[in-house]
Parts: sequence; structure tokens; C-alpha cells
Amino acid sequence: MSERKRVVIADDDDDIRGLMTIAANRAGVEIVAAVDNGSAALAAVQAGGIDLAVLDISMPGLNGVEVAEAIRADDGTRSTLILMVSASVQLLTDHGVVADRSDSFIVKPFSPRVLSTRIREMLELGEPA
Amino acid sequence: MTLDRWLSRLPLDSPSAFMKQVPTIVGFAIAALIAALPNGVPITNAPLFLAGIALVVVATVFSLIIPWRHLHPEWAVVIPVLSLLAVGLLRLGTGSSASPFVVLTLLPFVWIASEAGRINILIASLTTFVVLLAPLVVDGATRSAGDVVRAFFSPVIYLIVAIVINEIAHRMRVQLAAAREAGDRQETLLAQAVQAQDELVLNEARLKTANRLIQSIWNAVTEQSVIGTDLDGLIDVWNPGAEKMLGLTEKQVLDGKYHIIDFHLSSELAERLQDMDARFTTVSSTDDFSALVDTVRAGSADVRDWTYVRPDGKRVVVQVAATPRIDENGHRVGFIFVATDMTEAREFARLKDEFVGLISHELRTPLSSILGYLELLRDDDEDPLSEEQLQYLAVAERNAHRLLRLVGDLLFTAQVESGRFPLDIKDVELNTVVAASVESARPVAANAGVTLVAEVPDHTVDVRGDTLRLGQAVDNLVSNALKFTPSGGTVTVALRHEGDEAVIAVRDTGIGIPAVELSQLSQRFFRASTATRNAVPGVGLGLTITKAIVTAHGGRLDIASEEGVGTSISIVLPVETPRPVTEAIPHVEVAP
Repeated sequence: MSERKRVVIADDDDDIRGLMTIAANRAGVEIVAAVDNGSAALAAVQAGGIDLAVLDISMPGLNGVEVAEAIRADDGTRSTLILMVSASVQLLTDHGVVADRSDSFIVKPFSPRVLSTRIREMLELGEPA
Repeated sequence: MTLDRWLSRLPLDSPSAFMKQVPTIVGFAIAALIAALPNGVPITNAPLFLAGIALVVVATVFSLIIPWRHLHPEWAVVIPVLSLLAVGLLRLGTGSSASPFVVLTLLPFVWIASEAGRINILIASLTTFVVLLAPLVVDGATRSAGDVVRAFFSPVIYLIVAIVINEIAHRMRVQLAAAREAGDRQETLLAQAVQAQDELVLNEARLKTANRLIQSIWNAVTEQSVIGTDLDGLIDVWNPGAEKMLGLTEKQVLDGKYHIIDFHLSSELAERLQDMDARFTTVSSTDDFSALVDTVRAGSADVRDWTYVRPDGKRVVVQVAATPRIDENGHRVGFIFVATDMTEAREFARLKDEFVGLISHELRTPLSSILGYLELLRDDDEDPLSEEQLQYLAVAERNAHRLLRLVGDLLFTAQVESGRFPLDIKDVELNTVVAASVESARPVAANAGVTLVAEVPDHTVDVRGDTLRLGQAVDNLVSNALKFTPSGGTVTVALRHEGDEAVIAVRDTGIGIPAVELSQLSQRFFRASTATRNAVPGVGLGLTITKAIVTAHGGRLDIASEEGVGTSISIVLPVETPRPVTEAIPHVEVAP
């Protein structure tokens, strides 16, 4: 059995973070960290070996865009995929957030089923057993 | 009283019949006096002499008592004719041919000859002929050859003199008439000049009042800068608002020969020139000043955001309305730039955007949790819900989605209110938009028992616009029509070309809207009385949003309704937009 993909989840809302965690678990990935701020998320990614970071944009401290910029700027983490999440379409489309700093995005409110499917697609995982 | 003043009182320039008779009376008085003297002219025939005196007295009385001016004035010639005959009698009474009083003939003769009309030449000559010839008739036996010759020769001379006098008098009358006419004309001109002067004074007063008003207004405009330039952009008008906004006095600007572009950001001007070039507008030249006035030169007013730069380096975000400056002959002689400081407005818009963003996040986040966890409940394969529980769940989900739509509508309305909502302008095939809206509404229509009909032409109807927003507008209309149409009714969505416009008409056979409420339909949160009466759900934002979208595309909403019969709402869009939509509709952003 191949090693499970490693994922970091960041959202300052406990309930949403819980929902993301459930969706990620259903996608069959290993959740390395589920944190409520950008700094912790960046630290978790920079610790290495992370395949995907699911980042909310609006977070205290470093926001999702700043975390994504730091991940992209670091050679050690540049290959980590980024899935951006926001309640605001405008925040996602403004300033080239989606185009320049992330690999995919999803708008709140999201369906856990859709998030799970998106994570599997991004990590090129097959259908869950 | 001096003689001169006494004479000046005599109406010599327009003498009455009596005044003309006075010389004859005086002549007769002198003749009578001479005849009465012991060694004077002897009276040879007293009856004729007295008859002559009596006749001239009668003529004089006529001249006094008959109002000749009010009768036919030409008949006054009767008086000198009578006087002339009186002279004839006087002559016959004082020696006939030898009488020295024949000289009196001249006085009435000149009067008659000088009267207007050639007939008076004849009258004067014939009467004189009678007077001069009378002695020959009366004293027939005593006439000498010389008397006969004189009697016939003198009338001829009198005739010639009469012609000359009549002609001179005629010419003098013509000259007098011309002089009088000139006088009258001069009087009229003088009156006109006086009137013109009065009007001039009045206009001057009005002008002063208008100038004071303009000056007051000019001084009162302190929150907007008004800058006037010549055709090359050299500033020659600078109001107090410009002083306040840009920190230079009028004298400093006019003495310093400032150009309007001295107060602009050169990077903005360059960017505008590039934009003009890219869009193939009527770029007449490529200097920086053209960036400001090219649209005005092409004949339109131009309202645009710019940044003014003060001499101290401070920047002021302004909205500038540029218009042509026209002289009294209608020629363009320069430009006027009226600028409003938009710093506060921009800050307000930024705060509003921040607020919208915050609300967007804060409202959507709990909804995300609600909907997400509801879905988890539904998808729980290990512990599936009962049928009844699933129904409860469906109600909760439906209402959560309803709340989500409401949040979306409120946010969109807030964006519209702030004048900032993004449009992704592309070529849009309306046939697809209409078909998609109708198809997505079919399940709702079927549940409501309403027949949904799409009338889409075979040929494509294309416009420039934002596909998603136009779809949202059509969705809103169709959704409304279905909500307001009772079971058994019909909703028709028709797409067609009408001239240069594309029309999407959504007609229903629903409850209709009272005529008095039609004008309020697109106001935020307005709900028709028929909607509240029939408990049709909604908050009154759908049409507001639809109208905002359509307006942002340069189109309009046409609404017609009859209570109890149905409603027809049409989206009318321009097929060809000669300019980008953002140019036609202020405050709308186009996504890059």
C-alpha cells in the first residue's frame, strides 16, 4: 500500500475546519495539521513533506494569500499544492490570487463531498475504497 | 417788446388768408389816403372808386370769417381774385389807364400766382388781364394806341411772371415738404435714439445684476475647482475652488502662464493616451493635452477620474468634467475643467467595500457550516436517516439555501449601491442564456403546474456583456413570473431582435401588478401589493438587481402589467455598443 498524501488544513473557524477535516479524511489523505491561523499553517508546511495545503484566505496573523506567497517563495515548499478557500469570490479573483498563488480554489459555502472530490483530483488519487 | 420778438410772433411761415390779405389792405389804405389828399391822385369816378374800396373790404372780411384751413384751402384764392377786381375798380375810379394805383395789382397777383397748382397761373393772368383791359372797355373813346399796346402787352408779362412765381413757389413748397419730412425723420430718429438709450441703460443694469450673480456664484464655488483654458491648454480662468484645491492664487497662475497639464500626473496622461490609441478612438493628436480633451474635441463632454498634483507635491483624486468653452459666435475657444475632490468619496467607497467583504465573510461562514454539516448528515451511510428525518433535513437545507441567496442578493445590491460591481464583458449569445434559464426553471414550473414556453429564434442574437450577470437577470425575471403565476397559467420567455436592440420578454398570466405601483417596482425591498396579498415569498430585491445589471449593459427594463391579467417585463439591450460598456455607464468596472 502506497504512502498516504499529507495535507495541512487552515481555517480560523472551528466548525469549518472540522468540516474540511472530515472532507479530507473522506478523500483518504493524512491530515498533518488542522490549524486556526496562517503562521501555524506555514510552519506546518515548512516542516516538509506536505502535498497539499488547504488555506482559508481570511485568517488572523498571516492570511491565506500571504501563506501561499511564502510557500511559493520557498524552494523547499514550492511543490506543495495549494487549494484556496474563501467566502468572497471577489477576494479570490482580485489581485490574481487564484492565477498566481494557488492551484485551485473553492468558494464557501462548499459541499464536503465536492471538497473531498477536489482534494482527490488535485492529489491524483483514485476513488476511495 | 422788441421788433424782432414781435415779428417772431407773426405766423409768417404758415400765413392765414387774412395775413396774406394784410399787404393788400395796407396798399388800399395808402391809396385811399393819397386820393383823399388835396393835391393827391384825383378821383375821376367816385362810385367805381368806392366800389373798389368796398370790394376789398368784403374780400378782407371773407378772409377773416371763413375758416379756410378747414374748408378747401385752395378756394381761398377767391380773396385775391376779389382784391384784384377791387384794384381794377380803384384804378377805374382814379384815372383809369393813367391811375398810379395799378401797382396794387402786384399784391393779390403774387398771392394767386404763388398758390399751389398750375391753374392759379391762369387765374392770376386772366384776372390781371381783366383789370388791365377794363379801362379800354370803360374808356373806349379816349384810349390811345399806346394804351392798347400796354393793355395787351402787360398781361403777357404778367403771365410770364405768374409762371415764374408759381414755379418758384412750387419748388419752395417741395423743398419745404422735404425739409419737414427730414425734420419728422430726425424727430423719429431722435425718439428711437432716446428709446435705445433707455434700453441700453436698462440692459446695462441687467448686465450688472447678472455679473454680480455670476460673481457671487463664482465666489461661492469653493469645493469644486473650475479651470478655463484656451485651445492649447493655457490657463486663463481660475476660480476660488481651484485656489483652495491646488494652493495657487489666480494671479500666481495667470502670471505664471500655467498649463492645465502642469497639474496632472504625467503617468495618468500617458496611460490615457495608450488607452485611446488601443481603442482606436478619435485621437486627433498625441500630446498630453489631447489625453484630457480628445473626447471634447470629438463633440462630447468628458467625465473622468484624474489625479491633480499640487505645487507642493500633494495629490488630489478628482473627478473632472471637461466641456468646450464657446464664444458669442458659437465657436470653440477653449475648454472648461470642473473638478470635484473625490478623496472622501473614494475613502467612503473603500470602507463600504471593506464592509461588504466583512459581511460577505461573516454571513457566509456560518452558512457554510450549516449546509456542510446538513450534507454530512444526509450522506451518513453508516447510520442513515429515516424518511421523515430526511424531509426535515430538506426543509432545513432549503431554508439555508434561501438565506444564502438572500445574502448574495444583499451583497450584490450593496455593490450596485456603491457603484462597483464587476462585469466580465464578452460576446454573449442570448439564445443560450435564455435556453439555460428556461431549462433550469422547468422543475419549478412543473411543480407549480405552470406551462413554461421558450420562444427563441433560429438565428443567433448576440450582444456584448457579462454572460453570468445577464443569466442572473433572466433567471430573476423567470423566477418572479413563476412565483406570481397560479397553477394552470403560462410563462413565456421570448427572445427577438428589434432594430438595433435585443429584447428578452418574460410574460406571465399571473396576478399582475397595480398600475400605480409599476414605477416603484425596481426600488430596493419594494413588494407589489398583489404579492403581499397573495403571500408570494420574496424580499423585493430581484428586480432591483435585474435593473442594475441591465442598466450596466447600457439597456433598460420595460414593464407592463394589468392586475388579474398578467405581467410582461422585457430586458432591452443594445446589440451594438460603439464604446466599451464602462464608457457608457459610469461607476461600473470591467474585469480584466
